[in-house]
Amino acid sequence: MVKFLRMLAISAREGTATRKYPFESSLVTPEFRGRVDIDPAKCVGCGACVRICPPSALTLNYESDEVVLKYFIGRCIFCGMCAYVCPQDAITITKEFELATPELNDLYDEVVHTAVKCNVCGKPFTTVKLVKEVEKRIDGGDMSPLFNTCPECRRKLTARRVGSGVTGVSVE
Amino acid sequence: MSALSSDGLDGLTNGPLEEAFKRLKRSVWVFHLNTGSCNGCDIEVLDVLTPYFDVERFGIKLVGSPRHADLILLTGPVTIKTLSKVIKAIKAMPRPRLILALGSCAVGGGIWFNTYSTLGGYPKLEEVLKKVGVEVDKVVYVPGCPVRPEAIIYGAAVLLGLLQPKVTHRRMVAVEG
Repeated sequence: MVKFLRMLAISAREGTATRKYPFESSLVTPEFRGRVDIDPAKCVGCGACVRICPPSALTLNYESDEVVLKYFIGRCIFCGMCAYVCPQDAITITKEFELATPELNDLYDEVVHTAVKCNVCGKPFTTVKLVKEVEKRIDGGDMSPLFNTCPECRRKLTARRVGSGVTGVSVE
Repeated sequence: MSALSSDGLDGLTNGPLEEAFKRLKRSVWVFHLNTGSCNGCDIEVLDVLTPYFDVERFGIKLVGSPRHADLILLTGPVTIKTLSKVIKAIKAMPRPRLILALGSCAVGGGIWFNTYSTLGGYPKLEEVLKKVGVEVDKVVYVPGCPVRPEAIIYGAAVLLGLLQPKVTHRRMVAVEG
């Protein structure tokens, strides 16, 4: 009984410990990392975030006319590496964590880019915005004739050029 | 989009199941099922049950057996080792069976989405459940790594139709410039 009275005094001093969460804001610290937000205006579709993403929550899908950057929140581990590596600062970490939904499809974010097709084999391999960005950064240069050629075809073309330069025989 | 309607379950119309679900809104008994998770989400579930977040003020109570439970808090990517036990536990639940898939692992497999020893989250488990003929009435996916205690409370509210989900599928076209 005495113990109970002592407890009463302590609880009167300390007050209620319980958070009133749905009726008040949550305990989100400045360092908290929630879902990431991709700015479609800034994103060039370079794929740096796709390479760094540990659980492959970000993927680049090459379709016939478009390159789709897909973000699946349901697999994201909220490490923030994508925002750290993004060369265009297109990815920002938000404080959103109330992501519950009965539809799995709600957890997908997509950024649709226009694809550039290889002028040799015709396969979509990069985005129009990325080619423009690279052109801007290197300011022309002798790479420009190979801008619209996919890495595989570019390797073959370069090998042929070097080979014919050394031997003097043109290879077709 | 009947799953998003404020009252009632997806696929449950005017029957004893719907009646049972209406009664459920006042108090849900939960069973905590770890399907091979790293214990991060389990600790957050524990956090929800402490007086600090205190879900008992919403009538949510932890029980020790799936036979007493209305809702399973499923954490982990469903490893092959736990699969048979998980199916048994879900089968033991009375209808309506509700599941809250907690954490990145349970929603999409997390970093173990394509390993040999896991199924890769609840969507894959759902296919197995369909094959063995176990019906689940409603599932709510709660992403997070680990899930915040507040996110679990929010997920439970979405499951019971008290709140509407905030996230929607977004398809944005990159502006050429």
